[in-house]
Amino acid sequence: MNPQLEPDEQNRSRVRAVLDLLDGARGVIAFLFVFMLGVAFSPVSLKTGHSIFLQPTTQLDILYEYAEYGLLACGMTLVILTAGIDLAVGSLLGFAATFFSLLTVGYGWEALPATGVTVGAGALAGLISGTLVTKLRMQPFVATLAMMVAARGLAKVISGGIKIQPGAQPWYVYQAGQPPVFDWLTSPLPGLGLQPITLAFLLTVLVLYFVVRYTTYGRTLYAVGGNEQAARLSGINVSLTKVLAYVICGITAAMAGVSNAARLGLGDPSEAGFTYELDAIAAVVIGGTSLMGGRGGMVFTFIGVLIIAYINKILSINNVQEAYRLLAKGGIIVAAVMIQQSRTRR
Amino acid sequence: MRRMTLATVFGLVLLATGCGGPAKEDQGASGNGGKEQFVVGMSQCNLGEPWRQQMNKDVEEAAKAYPELRVIFKDAQNKSEVQQQHVKEFMQQGVDAIIISPKETEPLTAPVAEAYKSGIPVIVLDRAVNGEDFTMFIGADNVKIGRAAGQYLVKLLGGKGNVVELKGLMTSEPGKDRHNGFIEGIKGSQIKVVFDPDCGWQETRAMAEMNSALARFDKIDAVYGHNDPSAHGAYTAAKQKGREKEMKFIGIDALPHEGINYVKQGILDATFLYPTGGKEAVDWVIRILRDKETPPKKVVLPTRIFTKENVDAGGEEIP
Repeated sequence: MNPQLEPDEQNRSRVRAVLDLLDGARGVIAFLFVFMLGVAFSPVSLKTGHSIFLQPTTQLDILYEYAEYGLLACGMTLVILTAGIDLAVGSLLGFAATFFSLLTVGYGWEALPATGVTVGAGALAGLISGTLVTKLRMQPFVATLAMMVAARGLAKVISGGIKIQPGAQPWYVYQAGQPPVFDWLTSPLPGLGLQPITLAFLLTVLVLYFVVRYTTYGRTLYAVGGNEQAARLSGINVSLTKVLAYVICGITAAMAGVSNAARLGLGDPSEAGFTYELDAIAAVVIGGTSLMGGRGGMVFTFIGVLIIAYINKILSINNVQEAYRLLAKGGIIVAAVMIQQSRTRR
Repeated sequence: MRRMTLATVFGLVLLATGCGGPAKEDQGASGNGGKEQFVVGMSQCNLGEPWRQQMNKDVEEAAKAYPELRVIFKDAQNKSEVQQQHVKEFMQQGVDAIIISPKETEPLTAPVAEAYKSGIPVIVLDRAVNGEDFTMFIGADNVKIGRAAGQYLVKLLGGKGNVVELKGLMTSEPGKDRHNGFIEGIKGSQIKVVFDPDCGWQETRAMAEMNSALARFDKIDAVYGHNDPSAHGAYTAAKQKGREKEMKFIGIDALPHEGINYVKQGILDATFLYPTGGKEAVDWVIRILRDKETPPKKVVLPTRIFTKENVDAGGEEIP
């Protein structure tokens, strides 16, 4: 306590400290609000009388089902921090799911090389988007819109327009059953209870949290997004910072694609990832990261993902009719964002 | 800078109009020795859907049997305005007949009527147009197919059990019909639909909804998917929870690389054919143009059931 402050001032600084804490916790409060809705409206098991929503399996399902959106949102956060946008992630997910299925189901590749090549392709797509944005000075919206259309087209070309799955073409290596990697990615790990897909999402959040928060690269992301001119004048390599963000975004999109293929047991060139970019952007923005760049972070995104994932599950588990589901979803999102963004008076 | 902006706008316009360039046109499906007499225009509303790809394939296959026939394929990419253009273009080209599978009823009623009144036979496939100004309509009956699915399930479950119904888009006609037919089919039995979310025909949605159903019910006897991908998604979700052996799975559409493939692999217990009518349309074109027959105004196609027992023999027709 600073002895030179008047008692009144002391009080005020104490209040400020509490408010700061609340500020940080606001996203958590918004999430808890949604969680409590889930508890309040949960159906109960007819046998045991326990809440279906609070069952551990239901809780794990939520993360598992939303892991693909979560992965997309992770990469998207980096791009949005630079004041950019990546509309291609949904299509890249679709391409990656199709490509990965083609390699494993079609050509019988082993898990590791197939995953490596698919993730490499995602990185390459991100490199192209990033180069278009920086070297050719295209608007991120336009450059990634082009990538979005092209990636969807490529997915349809390599698949011949049909879903790649065992037995779909007579020349596929797998005519029945499925590659072991599909089973591995979707089965809970012994002792942990989490599927590798869920784990990949959580680890990505963790890794990117440290990258964004504690590395030099993380700080340049904020600098570039906050004021590009100032960042350039202070010696930051703006182009490299941006390109790297798109590359990472491409990588997470490819990871989401591999997850999608394993979860569905097939690679769907038309439907996989279709309009997912909107959900990913929504999760980032609902979390509280600014579309103008320079403000936000991974914790925000993680909370944003959780909020949307929980809303979806609560509505699904109660078997709410579609029309009311859309209405309720809109309402809950607005309420959650209001809780989370309400600015305390200083 | 100014040029940059122009280029940007140009690029956007190109992208917005669908990959740039004119509507995709695929000429001359049936390669023949140049002694063709009849040219048919085939307007497909959306080749992005696997079932509609199958329809075009059925038309193409059927046309191979008639060397005097040439088919011009056009894809409207899910836009009614483009499909209106297709009809006009076919008329200007002077085709001998038009096969059209409309995206929507209202916007295509007038163009179809105009072509029909100008003397070109028009065969409408799958979705109808209003009024009487077309040559014939060929389509399947989703209520009948839903009813067949319901009756089959009654037999399969011995008249009682808990069923999860994974609905298609319930604001669409096929979704409503497949639901109403199914409810008719199980009427009088002790089969109970315990969970019935709208999955919008999407497999990922079906998987998530099935997870909720699995969490809520300790015993599920069967899953009825309004399309095969929904049923397949339900199977995958149940399998990942180790519960797929507890229940039966049935679906609709029976595309060769989807539903029929799933039945062959033992994933689905049954699938019901939603016929495309592609072959029938081509046969009728020949009967109208070559044999000068007068077709019936409406042909309702029968469905077929595919099970493990009959799938290799090509399924079994349900009258």
